Amino acid sequence: MQPEPSIIDAVVNADALHPNWKREDHILARLAKNAAEHPNQIAMRERDRGIWQEYSWTDYLNAVLEFAAGLEARGVQPGDVVLVIGDNRPNLYFGMLGAACLRAIPSPAYPDAPTEEVAAQMAREDIRFAIAEDQEQVDKLLEVREGYPSLELIIYDDPRGLAGSEPEGVTGFNTIRAEGAERLFAEPGLADDLLARPSVHDVAVLMHSSGTTGAPKGIPLKHGHVLSGVRNAAAAGYFHEGEVHMAYLPIAWVGDFIFSIGAAMELRFTVNIPEAQETAMHDLREIAPTLYFASPRAWSAMLTRVQVGIAETTGIKRRLYEYFMPKAMAAERAKLDGKPGRGGLNRWLGEILIYGPLRDQLGLGRVKRAYTAGEAIGEDVFLWFRALGLNLRQFYGQTENCALAVAQKPEDISLTTVGRPFPGVEMKIDEHGEILLKGDNIFDGYFQNEKATAETLVDGWLMTGDAGQIEPDGQLVVLGRVSEVIEKADGTRFIPTYIENRLKFSPYIKDAAVVGKGRDMLIAIVCVDFQAVGQWAQEHGVAYTSYAELSQQPRIYDLIEAQIAEVNAHLPHGLSVARFVNLHKEFDPDDGEVTRTRKLKRNVIDDRYGPIIEALNAGQDQIDFKAQIVYENGQTGSLDRALRLADVKEAA
Amino acid sequence: MFYRLSGTFHTNYQADRKLWKIPADRWLVLTVFALAVLAPFLVSPLYLGSYVLPWIIWSAAALSLTLLMGMAGQLHFGFAAVMAIGAYSSIHLVRAGVPFEIALLLSGIIAAVIGAVFGAAALRVKGLYLVMATLAMQYLVDWVVVNVPWISGGAHATLRTPAVSFLFMDISSLASRYWLALAWAALITVFYLNVKRTSFGRSLVAIRDKDFAAAVIGVDPFKTKLMAFFTSSFLGGVSGAILAFCYYRAVTPEQFGFNVSIQLVAMVLVGGLGSVIGSYLGAGFVLLAPIFLTNLIAGLAASGWVPVSQNFLSHLPLVIYGAMIIGFLLFEPLGLAKIYDNIRKYFLVWPFRHARS
Repeated sequence: MQPEPSIIDAVVNADALHPNWKREDHILARLAKNAAEHPNQIAMRERDRGIWQEYSWTDYLNAVLEFAAGLEARGVQPGDVVLVIGDNRPNLYFGMLGAACLRAIPSPAYPDAPTEEVAAQMAREDIRFAIAEDQEQVDKLLEVREGYPSLELIIYDDPRGLAGSEPEGVTGFNTIRAEGAERLFAEPGLADDLLARPSVHDVAVLMHSSGTTGAPKGIPLKHGHVLSGVRNAAAAGYFHEGEVHMAYLPIAWVGDFIFSIGAAMELRFTVNIPEAQETAMHDLREIAPTLYFASPRAWSAMLTRVQVGIAETTGIKRRLYEYFMPKAMAAERAKLDGKPGRGGLNRWLGEILIYGPLRDQLGLGRVKRAYTAGEAIGEDVFLWFRALGLNLRQFYGQTENCALAVAQKPEDISLTTVGRPFPGVEMKIDEHGEILLKGDNIFDGYFQNEKATAETLVDGWLMTGDAGQIEPDGQLVVLGRVSEVIEKADGTRFIPTYIENRLKFSPYIKDAAVVGKGRDMLIAIVCVDFQAVGQWAQEHGVAYTSYAELSQQPRIYDLIEAQIAEVNAHLPHGLSVARFVNLHKEFDPDDGEVTRTRKLKRNVIDDRYGPIIEALNAGQDQIDFKAQIVYENGQTGSLDRALRLADVKEAA
Repeated sequence: MFYRLSGTFHTNYQADRKLWKIPADRWLVLTVFALAVLAPFLVSPLYLGSYVLPWIIWSAAALSLTLLMGMAGQLHFGFAAVMAIGAYSSIHLVRAGVPFEIALLLSGIIAAVIGAVFGAAALRVKGLYLVMATLAMQYLVDWVVVNVPWISGGAHATLRTPAVSFLFMDISSLASRYWLALAWAALITVFYLNVKRTSFGRSLVAIRDKDFAAAVIGVDPFKTKLMAFFTSSFLGGVSGAILAFCYYRAVTPEQFGFNVSIQLVAMVLVGGLGSVIGSYLGAGFVLLAPIFLTNLIAGLAASGWVPVSQNFLSHLPLVIYGAMIIGFLLFEPLGLAKIYDNIRKYFLVWPFRHARS
């Protein structure tokens, strides 16, 4: 650790770093303001056993303060890092803010992270306190504690299986809250004192880079960063006051902190938490939010769900869908090309018969602002949702800039660009084609990692690592990662993600990895979409029992080959995918092939599927592949699989 | 298409158990009710008096019967007799100077007591034998009414209903009689919808499904069956009184004959056993379909479209009517209510085929 500079120095430095920030303008002050001005308004809802439990702003503030008071009594100091692990739960949000209230730093982790990852995070960040959702997470932390004795206290939220039989050093969230409530009662000035402690320059949350390459880096975001980001976005009309928001994305993802805490505090959102991940779509329909964010993958899954439903629906319904949907898609496509069409009777009828009911079925009936980000979205998916009457827009950002940097305006919708910078964010492209960003929402450096900070922050500019270009009208096009530009043996440059994303636009392809570095041809490792391909197989009389068997069916190979050929037709010469294999399993974060946010880990894939890649390049028709399997309990085994290898015809 | 479910959520279990949770259903119920209330202003007195009013009253009677047949599963082929008891009791009570409101209640109780006595047979017999027992009630009551002059005033006598007021409002005009009948039908409807959600309603259903299985899980068949007959007969008796005072205004024994009992059973079966909307649809169908068919056939015959003899022409509507009942029951054995339910579900999952998780 760096030696602590004196406190006065720190304040002076911080003020100099961010002259626009006011010291007392932090997230907790926003919470206190909401509780004072709108005490009975609903701040949060959680679906529990079928009904929605509501929390007003007063409940919210009380929970945060009581927990903070209780946590302090247990020995949490300013600057301590507190691990928060679990699904979205009100108490975890209260816990994060409670820690921030003590100037401690909440550090969220993905609930499905394996024990070693959690242990590594705790060791790196010197974590002594943890807030866990349920018994599963507590067990994980107990396992970590065996090799990491400095973990002093584990606080659990869900008492099931724990209450009354807590192991040592494990306490319930409500116990801490009750202790805090007693303290607050005994010391009348404590509540105000707690609220006065944090400053805008304190770290509000410690996020983590996805760890696509190497260990994840800690990304501390201060109150000021989060609030600036939210205010910039609000100024651009990106968020409105009083939105109804669905908090279903993992709390360890920066977007959830920004939406469910940052923007929720600043703009008084009502945050709704689904009962479980499995019921998220159902709960979404019950709540019908006004603001909805989903990854391109999730939008695509939603579209697939509808397509499967339409494929098996009855005559009139399907014919109406098949009449109205292409019409609206064509109108949207014309709009993208700059030829706004008329609404007319067709649009009106379609709205009643198809678009409105479909929006309602998906739970998007009231969505005014729908967003997607993270990676490129398929043209069909994008157009389909816009045709449905949703103002789906793309934005661009990273954890380092609070995910809020560049976004499309309602009027400049386009498939290729991601829009213009928010007011308050500066953007430029450097000589290597890399996108640089500057603004109050850009973080001040990685957590205890001077080297990485120096590489990323240059003269206040954030090096995003993304290759991009600015269109003549000022809109940004993101091409891919700078580091991902790869050369074939003949020197042709390409970005694998670019091709993979286009492959993934096919409803039948769930994941794909394109490999071709230093080789003569591009080959693809394809994971078919079990739902869509399974449906196709049923309709076409292809029998299968499992994913592995389905993927190896010759007719499925023909199907996938046609999909790849179609993508090839739109790729530049020399960048066609020449050969491919249908993998016997999907890429799985538990097997390390993709990150938890489902980004490919190329080195793992190159390593694990090396024999397949070699065989594809050698032109073989089949390979006996020894597949490695990691069981849920961490043991590994292997399984022999015969995988078919196929050519794509007319690949250039 | 019409049903929008998004944004419907509940913050407590009471709200989650509301009768009409979907906004479209609520609007439909409100619209139908508003139209029913405003019917005297929307429909000519002829149609109101000869179609809408009897439809409402017979729907109430069918609802009373479906509580017994649909929910508790006890067949009853003498329900017209129960209504007759209600009708005659109320007239005699009002004549004796009892206020109309109290006379209605008392006539219901008298019908309930007598109905429950006959219902006691159900404790011993089931199925066809119960049909016999209830038929016996029909003929016994018929006989008593006809042959005791004190009740009917003689075999061919007509008993006029006295002029009455209900809650200080005169109910001599057609509209006021209609509204009273509507209020009664609405009351029974609300009662029926709610009884389904009570422990009493659930024990009735348990008895229907298998009475000795119900006994095993702690439902007393003796008590429950008696209560089913009592409740159903009470509602039937009041409906009979309402029928006498609001529609017939002069009662004769033939108005409550065996064929009326059969018609009531037909209403319940065609509508759909145990269904509220089925009772309304069934009553409407049994009551109005023959009239419309007769008018239709007569109209077609007048313009020369039906080249059959005059003699056959008068029977043709009945032939078609019978064919329609058989057709409906073949096509959907669960009755008109199920057909409505199918249509509703078709739109509920629009544009998909079934509900999605």
